[in-house]
Amino acid sequence: MKEDKNELYAMSGFERFKYKFVHFFTGIPSAIGNLCKKVGRGIGSFFKWLGSDLKDIGVTFAEGDWKTRLSFLIMGFGPITRKLFARGIAFLALEVLFIVYMATIGVEYVSQFGTLGTHTSGFNDDGTMSYGDNSFLILLFGLLTIIFIVAFILLWRMNIRENRREELVLKSGKQLPTNGSDLRSLLDSNFDKTLLALPVAGVFIFTVLPIIFMICVAFTNYDFDHQAPNNLFTWVGFENFKNMFSFGGAGFGHTFYKVLGWTLVWAFFATFLNYFAGMAVAILINKKGVKFKKLWRTILVMTIAVPQFVSLLYVSKMFANDGMLNAYFMKWGWVSSPIPFWTNATLARITIIVINLWVGIPYVMLITTGILMNIPEDLYESARIDGANAFQMFRKITLPYMLFVTGPYLLTSFTGNLNNFNIIFLLSGGGPYTTDLTGGAGRTDLLVTWLYKMTLNNTNYCMAAVIGIAVFVATAVISLVVYNILPSVKDEEGFQ
Amino acid sequence: MKKKVLSMFLVAAMTASMVVGCGGGNGDSGDGTEGGSGTSSSKKDDKTITIWVADEVTEFTKTQAETFLASSDEYKDWKVQVESVGEGDAAGNVITDVQGAADIFGFAQDQVTRLISAGGLTPLSDENAAWVKEQNDANSLSAVTVGDKVYAYPMTADNGYFLYYDSSVVTDPTSLEQILADCEAAGKNFYFDVESGWYQPAFFFATGCTCEYETDDAGKYIDCTMDYASANGIVAMREMIDMVSSSAWRQGSSLSSATDVGAIVDGTWDSSAAKKMLGDNFACSKLPSFTGSDGNTYQMKGFTGYKLMGVKPQENADKLKVCTDLVKFLTGAEVQLARYQELGWGPSNLEAQQDSAVQEDVALTALRDQMQYMVPQGQYPDGYWDPEAKAFGSDIEGKEKYSASSADEELMAALQAFQDKCISYAEQ
Repeated sequence: MKEDKNELYAMSGFERFKYKFVHFFTGIPSAIGNLCKKVGRGIGSFFKWLGSDLKDIGVTFAEGDWKTRLSFLIMGFGPITRKLFARGIAFLALEVLFIVYMATIGVEYVSQFGTLGTHTSGFNDDGTMSYGDNSFLILLFGLLTIIFIVAFILLWRMNIRENRREELVLKSGKQLPTNGSDLRSLLDSNFDKTLLALPVAGVFIFTVLPIIFMICVAFTNYDFDHQAPNNLFTWVGFENFKNMFSFGGAGFGHTFYKVLGWTLVWAFFATFLNYFAGMAVAILINKKGVKFKKLWRTILVMTIAVPQFVSLLYVSKMFANDGMLNAYFMKWGWVSSPIPFWTNATLARITIIVINLWVGIPYVMLITTGILMNIPEDLYESARIDGANAFQMFRKITLPYMLFVTGPYLLTSFTGNLNNFNIIFLLSGGGPYTTDLTGGAGRTDLLVTWLYKMTLNNTNYCMAAVIGIAVFVATAVISLVVYNILPSVKDEEGFQ
Repeated sequence: MKKKVLSMFLVAAMTASMVVGCGGGNGDSGDGTEGGSGTSSSKKDDKTITIWVADEVTEFTKTQAETFLASSDEYKDWKVQVESVGEGDAAGNVITDVQGAADIFGFAQDQVTRLISAGGLTPLSDENAAWVKEQNDANSLSAVTVGDKVYAYPMTADNGYFLYYDSSVVTDPTSLEQILADCEAAGKNFYFDVESGWYQPAFFFATGCTCEYETDDAGKYIDCTMDYASANGIVAMREMIDMVSSSAWRQGSSLSSATDVGAIVDGTWDSSAAKKMLGDNFACSKLPSFTGSDGNTYQMKGFTGYKLMGVKPQENADKLKVCTDLVKFLTGAEVQLARYQELGWGPSNLEAQQDSAVQEDVALTALRDQMQYMVPQGQYPDGYWDPEAKAFGSDIEGKEKYSASSADEELMAALQAFQDKCISYAEQ
């Protein structure tokens, strides 16, 4: 690497850029290879762990006393008979709860999970409605039940381990902790678990479960013609994914790549143009001799003070064919017919990126102003003595420092822009539309706004779920790759 | 230590799930026939009927419904709760959550089949269907009939469009070319919504093209007759291309967001806004005619549409009866006339249409003049409006794909593609 560096310094600016550029892309295969190796090792160690775990269960049963053995069936029996009531009753209560849940709701939903319901709804003779199976609820509760079953197996394993532990403690002649100290520890040494219980449950119910649910929907035909509670939907395997990536006919492939392409182009420009323009404005205002620094900053920050929903809708109207700008342009005789800011695809894209500059520059300016002031002044002074001009100082001192510090910010803002719903939806609404694209997508639609339309306008939940997965994959791949090559991650002490 | 975390997690998850499980499972009988959400199962006992109507008629509907319930001995204990949900949104909200939706809701006609496929509408009994037929004008029947069944109650018959114009700008409202020339000269705007499958037929139907769908009783589309890809279709499309190339033309059909209006193709719902905006120069007339590329003159046509009220499928026979009687009252002659008097909504009821005030209304008269050229809007699939017609109109508006000099073959290919896509919705 050292030699590399020396060679690098010998190159001209463009060659160095080319070298780094090529280096980045040639590095991708080996990075993917490493990832695969890691995954392989992970799978291997999982099976190793599983084997030893099963062996451990066997040993517990073989060497255990009758209390332990009975605990295999009646959870918590061992701890209760060893007078650890708090733990024992908790295990037993959970087992009872689980059995009651399975008997009342669980079994019914899980048994229908394979078909997602068979009874259809219909009107009775007196005009009232009798609802049949609700595929939506079957999918939801079926999933929940499967998760509970897995959780129960883990709980059962914990119950066995608890028995084993107690036996070993007793065998070694030590005392088991009392019930009181067990419970008190929840407010003392185990207080973290008490505090985390509610948030973890909340994350599970409101984040994890919906995500798993949405992933499942991608494998069903839950769309306009199959809506709960009146109609049933069912599993269709990879049909939707095939549709998403198939070209020609009614396939979404062509549209998908068009939309994905624009999403990436948009994210690139929205991130880097904002970044450099924001930094330029910050440097400009920071410059010695510029008066009323606070005033300029305040004026710029005003755009943040007005909610985007208001300002963007207003700007969108301003640029419309019958909006203020066009009306004045025509009145002054600059143009004979309105400039198609929103109806011409290329112009709409440029307009969106430019308006986004107006929204984004103040944020970047605020962030970079602080960092710019942190750059040691002596660096500039020595550079100046060496005869460096302003541009050289920017390239050799300011930019590397900024990139190092704001690397993670750039990454998050790039992934944020991939999913920047507000700007697109409020400005162009995804338009202009064209018959060249299928699935209701417009030429400035991002994947995420397309997903929104597919859900709300076209009631095509299954394809929307597929797009959702695609968005996740795109975001995850980009974030992981870029994160791993960020200088601020690789070389944490680089600028200290 | 790890297992303790896990144990806490499990305890929390299990308890939480029991709460959730109970909430969702309340209404579940053994065979799982009615997995209702908490709200709908609690609604079952109390005697409240929820109604969704557009914002401007919320108060009106509440008063009328309360009067009706109070005046009847049978329904005295029932209560109404009127919420403001626009006709455009009602269908979407009902489809998203049928069981949580309002019992009675007002909606625009283009949503009928969408609602039926999602199970949002109760079909009318033969007796009620006969009542609807007897009370309302013939065209409104096509709006509420799907297959052989009647699914909703007509509320208004004013969902058609015609021309509002500024009489100081437009010299001859009967010619599209003249309107555009006048607007260009005055620096005013002429609004016509080309992005909408509802307004586009003004051109296509004018040249003799047709586009009709046929459905079965369940709201499934089984057939489509469409001949846009024809010589007549090309004439219509050329006229649209000519219109959008005028510097006076603007996209849109909503007066509230229009500026510098010289003329606008819009409906009666904007009549008070138009009067306010145009003042003394307010005028309206039937749609103009245009001279097509083949030298013939064509009168612009269009759709007549209706606003409807529907009843959500009910599991309780008593509630269904109250809802049915209430919705019959709300769409009956008396209330339709009252709705016109208070808000200017044109009635679909035959008796209310004969009222002298309705007969003399300027906007409604323009609509009636236009009516003879209009095609009663039957059922169209959701995909016809959005994305197909929207995308087709957008391409014309964008001026990137076609211009006045585009060859006939080019336009024919575009029309053929549009037509094939529209027909594909009837072949699923």
